[in-house]
Amino acid sequence: MSHHIEDSRNSCALHGALQVYEAIEGVVPVIHSTSGCGVQHYLGGTRLSGGNAPFGSAPVSSTNIREKHVVFGGGSRLREQLKNSVKVVQGDLYAIVTGCSIEMVGDDVPAMAKEGLDQDWPVVYANTPGFRGDVHQGYQLAVRALIEQLPDIWKGASPAPAGLVNIWGIIPNQDPFWRGNLRELGRLLEAIGLVPNLLLGDGQDVESWKKVPGAAFNLAVSSWGELPARLLEERYGTPFISLAGLPVGTAAADLLYQLTGELGLDQPRIDAVIAREEARLSHQFARLADTYYRTGFQREFALIGESAQVVGIGEFLAKSLGLLPRLLVITDNPPDPVQKALVTRLNPIVPGYETDIIFSEDRAGIGASVRDSGAGIVLGSSLEQEAAEELGVPFLAVSFPLADRIVLDRGYAGYRGATALLEDLGSVILSDSYHQVV
Amino acid sequence: MSPLRSKAPRSREKRLDTLGAWLGPVSNASEEFAAEEVFQRIRTFAQSSHDDLLYALRIVSGIKDSVTIIHGPRGCAAAGLYHIAAGSSTRWIVTNLDERDTIMGADAKLRKAVTALHHRYHPAVIFIVGNPVVAINNDDIQSVVEELHEELDVPIVPIYTTGFSTQNAVSGYDTALHALLKYLSGKSSAAAKNGPVNLLSVAENALDRKEAHDLLEGVGLELNVLPDNSTVASFRAAITARASIPLCPDAPEYLGTILQEKYGVPYIDAPRPVGIEGTGRWLKSIAATLDIVSAADELHNRKASETLQQLSGFSLTGEKVYLSLSSANAFSLVSLVEELGGEVSGVTVTHLDRLHVRYLNELAARNPALQIHVSDGQEFEEISILRKLSLDLYLGDSTHIGQVARLGIPTVSLENLAIVGYSGVVRLARRIKTALLNRSFGTSLARSNPPYRESWYRRSDNWHIKQEVK
Repeated sequence: MSHHIEDSRNSCALHGALQVYEAIEGVVPVIHSTSGCGVQHYLGGTRLSGGNAPFGSAPVSSTNIREKHVVFGGGSRLREQLKNSVKVVQGDLYAIVTGCSIEMVGDDVPAMAKEGLDQDWPVVYANTPGFRGDVHQGYQLAVRALIEQLPDIWKGASPAPAGLVNIWGIIPNQDPFWRGNLRELGRLLEAIGLVPNLLLGDGQDVESWKKVPGAAFNLAVSSWGELPARLLEERYGTPFISLAGLPVGTAAADLLYQLTGELGLDQPRIDAVIAREEARLSHQFARLADTYYRTGFQREFALIGESAQVVGIGEFLAKSLGLLPRLLVITDNPPDPVQKALVTRLNPIVPGYETDIIFSEDRAGIGASVRDSGAGIVLGSSLEQEAAEELGVPFLAVSFPLADRIVLDRGYAGYRGATALLEDLGSVILSDSYHQVV
Repeated sequence: MSPLRSKAPRSREKRLDTLGAWLGPVSNASEEFAAEEVFQRIRTFAQSSHDDLLYALRIVSGIKDSVTIIHGPRGCAAAGLYHIAAGSSTRWIVTNLDERDTIMGADAKLRKAVTALHHRYHPAVIFIVGNPVVAINNDDIQSVVEELHEELDVPIVPIYTTGFSTQNAVSGYDTALHALLKYLSGKSSAAAKNGPVNLLSVAENALDRKEAHDLLEGVGLELNVLPDNSTVASFRAAITARASIPLCPDAPEYLGTILQEKYGVPYIDAPRPVGIEGTGRWLKSIAATLDIVSAADELHNRKASETLQQLSGFSLTGEKVYLSLSSANAFSLVSLVEELGGEVSGVTVTHLDRLHVRYLNELAARNPALQIHVSDGQEFEEISILRKLSLDLYLGDSTHIGQVARLGIPTVSLENLAIVGYSGVVRLARRIKTALLNRSFGTSLARSNPPYRESWYRRSDNWHIKQEVK
């Protein structure tokens, strides 16, 4: 049974679905719900993830249903809104997403979408009431709708290039660094001769989604990406691997080797790529060393974020940077088996040292754990800044919501992400010690 | 019968004939409100806009030592994160209703949340905010309120917003303020009226509030500010005030009216203190009621000449300006722009109702052809309107200002810019000057693709606004 939450950072399924559709060029989301749903998403999501809406603006096509629609049904209002959305807003695909009110009223949304298709409008739909889940379920519902419904709109799969790999499990804005993370994963895949299909973000459009069925492989970089990967395995027999977290630093080498094995790639070429990337990273470490020792980088840390971030960033800090993971707070409510696997993986991260692992999205509970941890640095969302200040330790904002960072292209995944993380983490530690001097 | 007996006030459209969709010359607007019946309009294409729930959340975000429980599914609390980033005074909790709760009701969950948060924080007040799901399900919030109020001995204030029963988000201010008065101000109207004067500040910028506060203190008034940045005690004190002064004639109107009707606190009908002359008029209306005419005149004359000096000849002469703002802000800025020598080419306001009739009449007499567009968040209409005008400056507080700038119009966002009072004029002038001097960012923006079809721009701008069929 669900429980009340203070300052939830996982919003609702409708908002998660919007985040997916807004991240694909040419997709026009059409909200079928009360008027405030879209604004809640803008204020409580878009504005707090470091960048801004794809159009540089808030308004989303929305039926804005009123009392009479709650009483008599909102089907005719949706029909009218859909027709006019196609006429007014430029788009290649119109995606209906529903809110709680309309699901309680019981509108037949699939039938409305079908009517649209009969008019030759490219329309998909996803039932996404907030009472059925959070942003993560919304991501899955939105992606599932595209995988299942697009083949009926554009008959016959688009030809996919050889070695195409779809990347799943990065949720736009819920991971504020999603653009940069996807781009770096894409760069590494390209370096070993594969063709990444990023699906979300700059330059990704309906054409990218048409190629999904023809991909050679599916890569899930969080447990949330496993559902689309499994769905595609069922439908098209495409093999996949699923990672527990973003590969940061040397973890990227493990991923590249794994892909080499799975796809039978050219081993010497991969060895060369990894050697080059590792050499660059080693060089960064060497340049950092003086500051690292002088300002006392080595300390206990508390890290708060989505499971994929906590695994990726946490392991990098612990295994490559010599920091001690005092407290890891995983905020994305992964299902029980995933939680068990995460605990098994993260508990022994530094041999002989005990790490506390907590699953929570309640700000008060998380804040108390951070204060009790006595950590020497806190990495989390802006909601944890207060606790870090009370501890009197440096703070780095790495997870949603982000109140005071602009993130346009930055990412923490891969080798380049590892460097960015060293820069950002190093800067807050250095700034803290500088301000203690002056 | 006490106006506070009902669970919620009547919606703005029922009480004040409020319109959320309209387009036409101001002379028509003026005529329409002069008629007996004002016809509601609807849109056949719409974009997301605020609802009463969001406006109610703005009010509670300013109440110190409070806990706000949004009794609904998780997404209805999303805006809480925004308020935290903006410096919220309340704590945000969502009861996180799931599918089962939407069928079986969730009174137990609400009871549990109220009890747990009371024990965790011991707040001075707990708010329970309604939303579409509990409104449709008709969850019994009232009996939870009554039971736990007895048991926990803390004021529990239910705010019955629904997200769908009004077309105008501004009704949410009324719904929240109705509940605050009903549960925090007490039943008796007998109290003596010799307390500090109420400054009614609803969802205002902190600097705007400070400016108004400083001006009123400057003429010797002692103030009780509410509901922004206030406490439970502010609402108790409000009913003993000598009078209430609105910082805006629109958002706090219901609060002022009920304080007058139920508690006998005189409500001073004052314009918004924006612009040198506008601020002077505001002070004048207050001074006449509170018998401080000479102090107010002296302050205005001194501040006005200081401000003129600080403006050092700044002028908008020859500049064509578009305004897109909440209604009272927009009408007060029309005067300011004209005061600075500029010409207003069109206005978009969030809503239009009987509270704005005097501005409409004044404008209709002066500039009958001026186009008034009523919209909250309907960017597609506004962009289409703007494309047809030749403009030198856009002043607005909407969330789609990035789209406007893309049209190559120098743009100033008033969302976080304090414009109230004499200092507001100087601040705004400085920002406008900067925007007019360097337009390079607008040019950079213009390179990305526009979101609407060319065929839409060829339609009349009110194509999707229709009279409602009852």
